[in-house]
Amino acid sequence: MTNSERDLSRRRFLRTLGASGSAVALAGILASLDASAQEPSIRRGLPDFAGPSANPYWNSVGPFITEPQKAPLILMADRPVQLETPRHYFLSPFTPNEAFYVRWHLETLPNSVDLKEWRLHVEGNVGNSLTLSLPDLLTRFKPVSVAAVNQCSGNSRSFLQPRVPGGQWGNGAMGNALWTGAKLREILDAAKLKTGSVQVQFEGLDRGKGPEGYGSNRFMKSLDLNDPILEECIVAYSMNGEPLPMLNGFPVRLVVPGNFATYWVKCLSWIRVLDKPDDNFWMKTAYRIPDTPGGTTTPEDVKAGKIKTIPIAKMPVRSFLISPDGTAKIPAGLPMQLRGIAFSGYGRVKKVEVSTDKGASWLDARLGEDLGTYSFRTWELPWTPKRPGKYELAVRATDEKGHTQPDQPVWNPGGYLWNRIERQEITVGSAG
Amino acid sequence: MKELSVNSVKRFATALCALLASTALYAEFDAGFYAPQKAGSLRQTLPHVAGSGASYEVGAYPLYPVNLAPGDGQSEVASYCNTCHSPRYITAQPPLPADVWAAEVNKMVKTYGASIPEDSTLKIIQYLQSHYTPETRKK
Repeated sequence: MTNSERDLSRRRFLRTLGASGSAVALAGILASLDASAQEPSIRRGLPDFAGPSANPYWNSVGPFITEPQKAPLILMADRPVQLETPRHYFLSPFTPNEAFYVRWHLETLPNSVDLKEWRLHVEGNVGNSLTLSLPDLLTRFKPVSVAAVNQCSGNSRSFLQPRVPGGQWGNGAMGNALWTGAKLREILDAAKLKTGSVQVQFEGLDRGKGPEGYGSNRFMKSLDLNDPILEECIVAYSMNGEPLPMLNGFPVRLVVPGNFATYWVKCLSWIRVLDKPDDNFWMKTAYRIPDTPGGTTTPEDVKAGKIKTIPIAKMPVRSFLISPDGTAKIPAGLPMQLRGIAFSGYGRVKKVEVSTDKGASWLDARLGEDLGTYSFRTWELPWTPKRPGKYELAVRATDEKGHTQPDQPVWNPGGYLWNRIERQEITVGSAG
Repeated sequence: MKELSVNSVKRFATALCALLASTALYAEFDAGFYAPQKAGSLRQTLPHVAGSGASYEVGAYPLYPVNLAPGDGQSEVASYCNTCHSPRYITAQPPLPADVWAAEVNKMVKTYGASIPEDSTLKIIQYLQSHYTPETRKK
């Protein structure tokens, strides 16, 4: 007999004693009590994988693990490292550095950086190439700060149907931080761009084991020089008022507010000004979305070769219910707060609405402090569930450009841009 | 005999009270249940002791091995695929249809330049199809 069997048999022991104790009436009472009370269940771990149907959980199913400078996070992959942030961290508008998700493409990622040797190189189609040390970045350029959400292009990929290969993220491949650093524009100005410049390319310290000339060897991303977002980009040396964790890009990473994280190059060490569009794998082939409304398509249209693609860029509007999370029953009649976050890469979140009746009616949530255009915005709504039963809570956000989350699923072969209205089933019990 | 009977009535009454007390407790809440779990799979990280120089290091990133399904092709997966990524990239996928696995492996060779001989490529595809599709993947 295992310990759990012995523990669980305690109630059965009571019942046996009652029946054999010749007190028939007592036995009856005990039996009725026994029927009304349920055996406590043993909490079991999530399965190793979810599918082929959609992942039914808010986060991905991986186990908790520890990595340097990190709190226990959800393991997606150990080499190269990919870690997901657990749901409860999103109750606050800023995601702690130790809980911030991690996603690397290439397995040879830095374990250490020697700042005596490390330099940020600014080169290419410029009149004045630069080699900047960390003290140069700290003193030669005015420090600026921006609160901005960093979200993996493939965040929520595990909810697509049919499932697509790739990192099977739940919703936790995102985070919001206060990033501080030098303005990219100031650095480019100091390098004196030559005429004919069209793009600027970014590369970090990570390298892969694949052959030269392939995406498996180097990771590089580029932005158009006429993209207005360039004016808001920062070469960040500080994250939430601390140095960046190594796994989040120490010593500096590019911050591209509003854009998906694929552009936020970690351990940024080369800025190259290009006189023709970047045709490296990570721009030409990977991280591309269908040029369709909402970036959605079908497996049939992809197979038929009907789909023109464009590089992924801005993050569509999203919102999340963080608490309650459905892991516990709630008593009817108890006043409580529904709480969560919202953001959009297109502009400020103007409205968050919550439905507690499967989308039949929507109530405006109260928005938390406005921390900036590209930040998480917290929201809350008082709620008192009136009757016991199952409730389906739904939340949708609208940004200042008028985009509202759709209620249709998104599908594309990369598993990008998921921003469907989130739903959470909540069980409300009788309060007695 | 009479005394014994009084004693036995007393004993029965005591037992009854104890039972009623304990059942009354159970009527309000369940308590005292524990279930065994394995501790130690997730250890706290040792604090990092660093010098005051300009080198910033975090040490090695931990590897968390997975059990690949045993079968023909497993060693090819463990050697070739493992060059660029750990096999967890395979086991973390949902069950994928056979043609999707074939496309994935061919993408590794053609798009990412993985240097895998043709017969091993076929073996890897067959292995993944034999163990990691909706029809073949074991819980």
